[in-house]
Amino acid sequence: MIKTCKNNKLSLSLCITLALCGTASANVTNKDIANDQMTTDDVVSYGMGLQGQRYSPLTKINTSTVKEMRPAWAFSLGGEKQRGQESQPMIKDGVMYITGSYSRVYAIDARTGEELWQYDARLPDGIMPCCDVINRGVALYDDLVIFGTLDAKLVALNKDTGKVVWKKKVEDYKAGYSITAAPIVVKGKIITGVSGGEFGIVGKVRAYDAKNGQIVWERPTVEGHMGYIWKNGKKVDNGISGGKPGQTWPGDLWKSGGAAPWLGGTYDADVDLLFFGTGNPAPWNSHLRPGDNYFSASRLAIDPDTGKIVWHFQTTPHDGWDYDGVNELIPFDYKEKGKTIKAAATADRNGFFYVLNRENGDFIRGFPFSDKISWASGLDENGRPIFVDDNRPGNPMDSADGKQGKTVVAAPSFLGGKNWMPMAYSQDTELFYVPSNEWEMDIWNEPTAYKKGAAYLGAGFTIKAINDDYIGVLKAIDPKTGKEVWRYKNYSPLWGGVLTTAGNLVFMGNPEGYLLAFNAKTGELKYKFNTGSGIVGSPVTWDMDGEQYLSVLSGWGGAVPLWGGDVAKRIKHLNQGGSVWTFKLPKS
Amino acid sequence: MKRINSLALGLCLLTCVLTAPSLVARSFDDIIESQYITVAVYRDFAPFSYQVDNAAYGIDIDLAHQIAKELGVDLRLRWMTADENVEDDLRNNLWKGHFLKRSVADLMLRVPYDKAYSLMRDDIGELVHEQVHMFAPYHTESWQIIYNATQIESVSTIAVFQYHDIGVEVDSIPQFYLTSAFGGRMRERAKHFSSIPLAIDAMSKGEVDAAMGLRSQISHYQQEIDTKKYLLAQNAFPMMGRQQWDIGMAIKSQYRQLGYAIGDIVETMIKQGEMEKIFIKYHTIYQTPELYLPTKTHP
Repeated sequence: MIKTCKNNKLSLSLCITLALCGTASANVTNKDIANDQMTTDDVVSYGMGLQGQRYSPLTKINTSTVKEMRPAWAFSLGGEKQRGQESQPMIKDGVMYITGSYSRVYAIDARTGEELWQYDARLPDGIMPCCDVINRGVALYDDLVIFGTLDAKLVALNKDTGKVVWKKKVEDYKAGYSITAAPIVVKGKIITGVSGGEFGIVGKVRAYDAKNGQIVWERPTVEGHMGYIWKNGKKVDNGISGGKPGQTWPGDLWKSGGAAPWLGGTYDADVDLLFFGTGNPAPWNSHLRPGDNYFSASRLAIDPDTGKIVWHFQTTPHDGWDYDGVNELIPFDYKEKGKTIKAAATADRNGFFYVLNRENGDFIRGFPFSDKISWASGLDENGRPIFVDDNRPGNPMDSADGKQGKTVVAAPSFLGGKNWMPMAYSQDTELFYVPSNEWEMDIWNEPTAYKKGAAYLGAGFTIKAINDDYIGVLKAIDPKTGKEVWRYKNYSPLWGGVLTTAGNLVFMGNPEGYLLAFNAKTGELKYKFNTGSGIVGSPVTWDMDGEQYLSVLSGWGGAVPLWGGDVAKRIKHLNQGGSVWTFKLPKS
Repeated sequence: MKRINSLALGLCLLTCVLTAPSLVARSFDDIIESQYITVAVYRDFAPFSYQVDNAAYGIDIDLAHQIAKELGVDLRLRWMTADENVEDDLRNNLWKGHFLKRSVADLMLRVPYDKAYSLMRDDIGELVHEQVHMFAPYHTESWQIIYNATQIESVSTIAVFQYHDIGVEVDSIPQFYLTSAFGGRMRERAKHFSSIPLAIDAMSKGEVDAAMGLRSQISHYQQEIDTKKYLLAQNAFPMMGRQQWDIGMAIKSQYRQLGYAIGDIVETMIKQGEMEKIFIKYHTIYQTPELYLPTKTHP
């Protein structure tokens, strides 16, 4: 179902206006994407720059003016399909491109909030995406708007009409695959990972020619699988990930090892590397797979031209707690003893913050950013966790007598000290702003479980808040010292991305529906506005007609409402929604 | 899954069944009045429910037809994509509907009949299965090993799988058992497949010497390969908790009248041998649930 140019008059007048201004809507180039962070009049990459720092040099909205900020327009995504809106808007030539839940894409006039076109992907019957029907945004390239669908396809739409230009099946949704992350464009190639449940999938990162969707390379994220590169249309062997199978996996479990790179990646031009994180290993029961289980729960540095793994860093070897290693790795530079260090940082599900050398993956330092970590007592000099053996969930076969196994209380919960929601790095304060959650989980073996009518050994779990008065904590963290500079506590769990600006501000939304702005140096709350439904999207800011704009999607959902127990009680009153809110300062 | 059971095909009635599930599960009266019942079955799950050229086959399909016939209504099928566990399947297909497809069936087949399971409570003390009523066990399921008799002399104990490769389905009890029981001594020999038919295929190609899976599936697939060469093992499964369990069906909990009507149909089918005939038709071992066996002695 495609609704093109719902309002022809509008798009025509827009075209004329743009033509008269001499800025006829131009196509997005590699240069536009490479410079995205420093060009303030557009947002053409996920992360507001391929490094994903989510930092804007704009200063008109700042700590003294932000209190005057007010909505310019709001746009409803419509329909009954209102679940979580995790999209990051993109802006080019006065047009905003967003995705909505259920694989929908919208083009909106960024000045007025009027819809230009809408595309609804036709989803097949029997599709079973594991973790809500969200989407995190589009990629822009040339005259294309490219996004991934719940049935694991990449779809490229014409930016002016919303009509399909090309469509590629990335994986078979029937085998349990899906795409929810925003793809990225690097050097003309569109790069995407995949998500998948516990159905014995193998994670892969793939690069396609962004103009026509032809595959360029494919890199499995599990040790032992062959990677491929396409030369003149021919599929050529391109080296086995990790060299050979069976080094860190028992038996043939590497064949179905999981490690889905479901959250997409970042890119650093300086070292010319892609950085993709990988999910937990399969099966979930760690007692079945002694070994480190490469490259699950890791960050991989991948050559964007060839798809070869240049280095890897594993945050949770032999994961037994479902600590996906997918969280974004953000490249940044800092000075130490007069020397520039090419670093990259990530705040992992497992509660530790890691600073790595982005040239070679060497561990520089790591420290807890979660208040409570039970599964490891710390990191050794190479960044490997020092396990607390008693805190590993028990072997389900031990409950073979049909009784419930022993309960282990582990922190952070499997939803992580930080989940998918991207953090931001300010080049002014040199701090990372990390949207984190303080929660733990009970895990026990559940012998009375069934799957497709077959007896099964499941694991039961309950996520619990650690503190009565808050779960979410926005933390300002100094990557050079590990010191927390300030924190903001939130009653319900944080699930939306962060933005920081040269106006000394940090922006974030919360599930209670507020868009919040903080003083980046002190954490003082400078602004709040309720958008009517919970915010789980990532805000962006840009310059248009001499004014600074800021936009964020509102619409409660994502993984948190899907899990029960203690946490569900805190959030069950939150209403669903689906809208874009755009703000600016009043004209003086 | 491209294995077509030609024998079963010949035996099977070629039935074209409508698939139009209703928005809400309905009462007995509504079903009778509307003259159809919607029954949820798993897709691609031979010998229970599967499609060949858009025609539906399998034990659960035949059973659903019989129930519809006895109620005097038409049958509509709802094909389920399995979620991570039966609890999800019940929610997606019987009482709430999946968030992509907000409709449900009137009756769901292949639901465990297990008191501990139906009375299970969640982490805040609520009944997990409050919304559904599980009833009418129609057979007893178990685990089964099939082996290549030219490679393995006999499977007297599970210990032979320290020396012989055995195929299992990913994320199943056989996988858990073979990769972690006895300190993982059989771990290196467990070979993983995404489904049982693929493991059987691998065995018939000589890639593994045995396979372990649901007894119904293993016995069904045995007759498609050489029944002299590939034998059903008689071994025990030490250290394994639940070795057999009953399979029944479920309705939404407020529609008990529908449950009584269907329960009577199923009991009659079992007592008159109709149920076993359906299993035999699909070359599947049948075991009667304990509920229907003559009671030995009451304590």
